[in-house]
Amino acid sequence: MINQQLALLRREIWEHRSIWVTPVAVATVVTFLAIAVVVAVGAFGEAMNADIGKIADMTAPENVRRAALAASLVGNTSVFVMAMWFLTIFYCLDALYAERKDKSILFWRSLPITDAETVISKLLVVFIAIPLATFAAVVVSHLLNLIIVSIWLATEGANPGRMIWGAVPLFDTWAAVLSILLALPIWLAPLLGWFLFVSAWAKSGPLLRAVLPIAVLPILEYIVFKTWVLGEAILTRLRMDNIPLFDGMKNANFDEDELRSMLTENLSLVSWLDYGAFLTSVEVWAGLIVCGVFAGGAVYLRRYRDDS
Amino acid sequence: MSSLVTAKNVSKYYGNLAAVDNVSFEVEKGRILGLIGPNGAGKTTLLKAVLGLTDCQGQLSVLGLDPFRQRKEMMKNICFIADVAVLPRWIRVSQLLDFVASTHPNFSRSRAEELLAATKIKKESKVRELSKGMVTQLHLSIIMAIDAKLLVLDEPTLGLDIIFRKDFYGNLLNDYFDGERTILITTHQVEEIENLLTDIMFINGGKIILDSSMEAIPDSYAELLTSGEDAETARRLGPLHERDVFGKHVMTFENVAREKLVGLGEIHTPSVADLFVAKVKGAAA
Repeated sequence: MINQQLALLRREIWEHRSIWVTPVAVATVVTFLAIAVVVAVGAFGEAMNADIGKIADMTAPENVRRAALAASLVGNTSVFVMAMWFLTIFYCLDALYAERKDKSILFWRSLPITDAETVISKLLVVFIAIPLATFAAVVVSHLLNLIIVSIWLATEGANPGRMIWGAVPLFDTWAAVLSILLALPIWLAPLLGWFLFVSAWAKSGPLLRAVLPIAVLPILEYIVFKTWVLGEAILTRLRMDNIPLFDGMKNANFDEDELRSMLTENLSLVSWLDYGAFLTSVEVWAGLIVCGVFAGGAVYLRRYRDDS
Repeated sequence: MSSLVTAKNVSKYYGNLAAVDNVSFEVEKGRILGLIGPNGAGKTTLLKAVLGLTDCQGQLSVLGLDPFRQRKEMMKNICFIADVAVLPRWIRVSQLLDFVASTHPNFSRSRAEELLAATKIKKESKVRELSKGMVTQLHLSIIMAIDAKLLVLDEPTLGLDIIFRKDFYGNLLNDYFDGERTILITTHQVEEIENLLTDIMFINGGKIILDSSMEAIPDSYAELLTSGEDAETARRLGPLHERDVFGKHVMTFENVAREKLVGLGEIHTPSVADLFVAKVKGAAA
């Protein structure tokens, strides 16, 4: 059972190379950007005849450096999150469509694997494999970026060991990043379930068939009932800041005192995340149920569809 | 239990159209059955029902299991090739072997590798880089490395050249068929599999119009090559079908004792292809 799921997962990664190619591509671009920034800042310092590295080394206190480093890592991560958002959606649209388009479905179905097991493997890709692949790329990208900055600081005569590695809250940031990467597909679950269903159902053009109802139905609802329930529900899911994991941050008012205390204390991103709110959120669980219903529909279609 | 497939009053409707219309048959263990019919006769639908790919009405049992509801269990002991083009084009040969090895309990990887070693297929190639013939060789190597009780081949050699088709059936008989396994084949190229079959089944319009072992064919069917006066005499015996070849008449008889035909011309056992035409056209007449 577990071996079979692992084989199915491996199969998904062979077929959908974008699962790892996308994060690797983003990591490459981000790393080149980091090099470009370092070169630009170095050139700026030279032009201004200022020793930027040394100035930073002398002036910034440790907790500020810590906050600044965490902020830069989060900024870096946001590019990965955006890429993952698109990757996951396009994966779902292709997951059960490609095998019908290239007719390989008859081969897959000639093996002793149930349709439910196949669809479960696709869900595991969405909820686990893609977030983990993205997380691995984020970690490598963070390390590369910090190494690049360290090398530059060292050439500027500053002490990167103290400035960077002594201050950067790496594990705290990574724990927060992993939490967010895992929470994102769960938050998007009802939409992802719908996309997976369409990929099992559409005879052609799954993207259009998936997006059109999402766009048109809320408008119809508004015209007919003068309500905006469906539209609100869909838009809520599309905005990442609505994930209940961020509830704590939303309710906090970031006034001057709070911001100052954040910088004077040691900053921890994980402590900002509201795991309790996420796990007890009705919206999260309702979304997973909707996803389950659509996934069940996809299993049904794969099993009962008869194209002859 | 020697009956591998048992169908009782099996039907499959698409809307009002009966693709398979109340058919009953049995396939015994160790047989090679050819399922022959024109396009749209219901062959593929019947195979799909046997393979649990489509639900149907009536009682259908394959290896003692309900093919649609106990599909996973059943597929451990069944292999099928539906068409040459179904292997995923993006996969590498080595990946394909890995995947089947980890999902099929009766697959022997070493056997598959042995079979592949006899071909020009490289393990690091992707399926899309292989010729059509090689893809079939690859598929067949995988299928033949699975220790299955029933092998279903639906037009396995469609689009392949004649040399390849000969090899395909040669391999099937020599390397795979051991008298324990059972094979179910559909094809349009009846002549090529005629010598291979132990049983034939004709299907037309969703109904089975002939279900017989090959040994029993000469007992029930005879073909007479005749002309002139004799032809008139023979015609009175009620041939199933008659066609003209080079000014002579070829008549196919069903359940007419051969003694009655003696003296009226040359008597043969009809080929499967001719018998098929006679049955289909005879029924239509």
